[in-house]
Amino acid sequence: MILQALIMILAFSVAGLLTQAAITELTDVAVRREVIGEANSLVEEWRKKGAAHLPLTIQKRTRLWRGFEYNIATPTGGWIAGDRRLVLSAPGWRTVQADKTVKILTYTQRLPDGTWLSVGQDLAVERRQLDAVARSLWISGGAGVLIALGASYLLARRTWRRIDQLAQTAAKVSSGNLNVRAPVRQTRETDEVDDLARAFNGMLDRVGRLVAQVRQVTTDVAHDMRTPLTRVRHRLERLEEAAKGDPALSAGVRRIDADLSEILRTFDAMLQLAEIESADRDMVGADLAEIAGRVGEAYRPDIECSGRRLILNLRPAPVAGEVELLSQMVANLLENALRHTPVGATMTLSVDQGGGRSRLVLSDDGPGVPAHLRAAALAPFGRLEASRNKPGSGLGLSIVAAVAARHGAKLDLGDARPGLIVSAVFPVHAEKAVIA
Amino acid sequence: MRALDSMTSVGGPLQLRVLVVEDDDVAAEHVQDALAEIGHEVVVVGDGDAALDQGARGGFDVLIIDRMLPGLDGLSLLSALRARGVDAPALFVTAMGAVSDRVAGLEAGGDDYLVKPFALAELKARVQALGRRSLNTRPATLLQFRDLTVDRVLREARRGERRLDLLPLEFRLLEYLMLAMGQTVTRKMLLEQVWGFRFDPHTNIVETHISRLRAKLDQGDAEPIIRTIRGAGYLVGG
Repeated sequence: MILQALIMILAFSVAGLLTQAAITELTDVAVRREVIGEANSLVEEWRKKGAAHLPLTIQKRTRLWRGFEYNIATPTGGWIAGDRRLVLSAPGWRTVQADKTVKILTYTQRLPDGTWLSVGQDLAVERRQLDAVARSLWISGGAGVLIALGASYLLARRTWRRIDQLAQTAAKVSSGNLNVRAPVRQTRETDEVDDLARAFNGMLDRVGRLVAQVRQVTTDVAHDMRTPLTRVRHRLERLEEAAKGDPALSAGVRRIDADLSEILRTFDAMLQLAEIESADRDMVGADLAEIAGRVGEAYRPDIECSGRRLILNLRPAPVAGEVELLSQMVANLLENALRHTPVGATMTLSVDQGGGRSRLVLSDDGPGVPAHLRAAALAPFGRLEASRNKPGSGLGLSIVAAVAARHGAKLDLGDARPGLIVSAVFPVHAEKAVIA
Repeated sequence: MRALDSMTSVGGPLQLRVLVVEDDDVAAEHVQDALAEIGHEVVVVGDGDAALDQGARGGFDVLIIDRMLPGLDGLSLLSALRARGVDAPALFVTAMGAVSDRVAGLEAGGDDYLVKPFALAELKARVQALGRRSLNTRPATLLQFRDLTVDRVLREARRGERRLDLLPLEFRLLEYLMLAMGQTVTRKMLLEQVWGFRFDPHTNIVETHISRLRAKLDQGDAEPIIRTIRGAGYLVGG
């Protein structure tokens, strides 16, 4: 809109300046023609009535004010009659600066007796004319610009509003609601915005079908695997009971059960990842500090028993979210730090808010993650090679990333110098994030 | 002393009539055996419609319902039973572990939710907890075991005359174990009820908290207040 206005004003200015230049040129030509005409008529007078009469004619014409200034000078440039400012003794055109403000365009010619006749016109007249022209140009130009902008604004406003609706629909979709659709006008005549909205809705239909399919597959896989796994687990349990008298057998059974649990954990994490990413549920207002505090205190004894330290630095910070998922996010971050820092490390979990954002930050003073591997650390199964032999599904940070994305939070891995710093910055939705 | 009276029904073995609605025969058999072992009477039904007939007749203390059933599905079954005035606590058993699935289960009138594949020990503990709830609804304000007293109003615990210096979370943990006196409480139940965690931590947070609580509780006693039941969970009394 502003650019449009600037372009329009520039165009009008250029047109105005060109017009003004043309008019200046034309006016100049006209002035010169008038001056020559006046000079010729005086020469004619001189011829008819003689040199002695010319000063009288000049006086008369000055008195009558025909819009000209006159002067007669001796061949050596001495004043004879007329305007003392125009005592000139060389032929041709010149502009005489009479005083600070007055400029006189003067034509000088030698009369047959050698005297100099000068006829001039005060350019102030011309300038006033030009100013009047310029003023009317600017006024009409300004009005033109305003009218043009106003008209285009009125015409474009409807289109903008529709594009804005489309943008709002897209925003709702990115926050996980796949049931919204962009409005399409039901009129016979449609335009590009309607085409865009229709294409957008078509895409949403397709995405919705795919998500539903993924959910169905997830549910089916979950069911088809979990039911037989339940039997395996129960048989193991009974086997362990039966093997009570046989320590070797019962230890073996317990090992199988532990392995099975590990598989199930990974399996659950995968299903959960799919669920978080495809969910569309309403968020509730919660306090990030309360969640971080609860989870932090739950892990504190474990962290301390392992010879590490945990510092909590929590200030109330509202979020709109799912408390269970956010709790798990904090838990996964702490477990990740526990797994990847050496004994003696310190972890600092902080929550604060500012600038319309709520921030959750976990930093440690462990070995950190090199910058080029940070993106990989967030990808599913993206365990860094060095930690592949350590326990863990490799999905912990992916779940953190999915939970962050689900809440519209920006997740960053950085260098804590030394160590890893993970921050999640949540938007605060005023209408949802009222702390209950 | 009223509080102490109401406490007497907390402990002791429970004998419950349990309705199991499960279409997988092997799973149903395992559940039936496990519950029968601890003295419960179990009726197994294989589909939703039959379960509605059976359940509406009443007389069950606990309902165990698989969510995916031939005929009437689990959620509709429980809604229908609730509409007919059946108020026995219900435990959903399901292959669908998502948060939204659990919320749907609770909204349909479910009291607890167990995701497959669960351990039988877990199921037994949950059934005990639900059965206790259905038999004894009035919560005691003063809980006692040996010389340990837990005052739920003052939020303090004493051994004899000595006041125990417990963190709020340790008090909640002890309170939950005392409320379930005589019954095994699993690690998962503690995570859900005391911490509000529905996910499975990869670390031993429950074990570590229990051992810290024990250190404050026992202080050199020969017999600990909280016993560990191997492969199942923790137990006070019983």
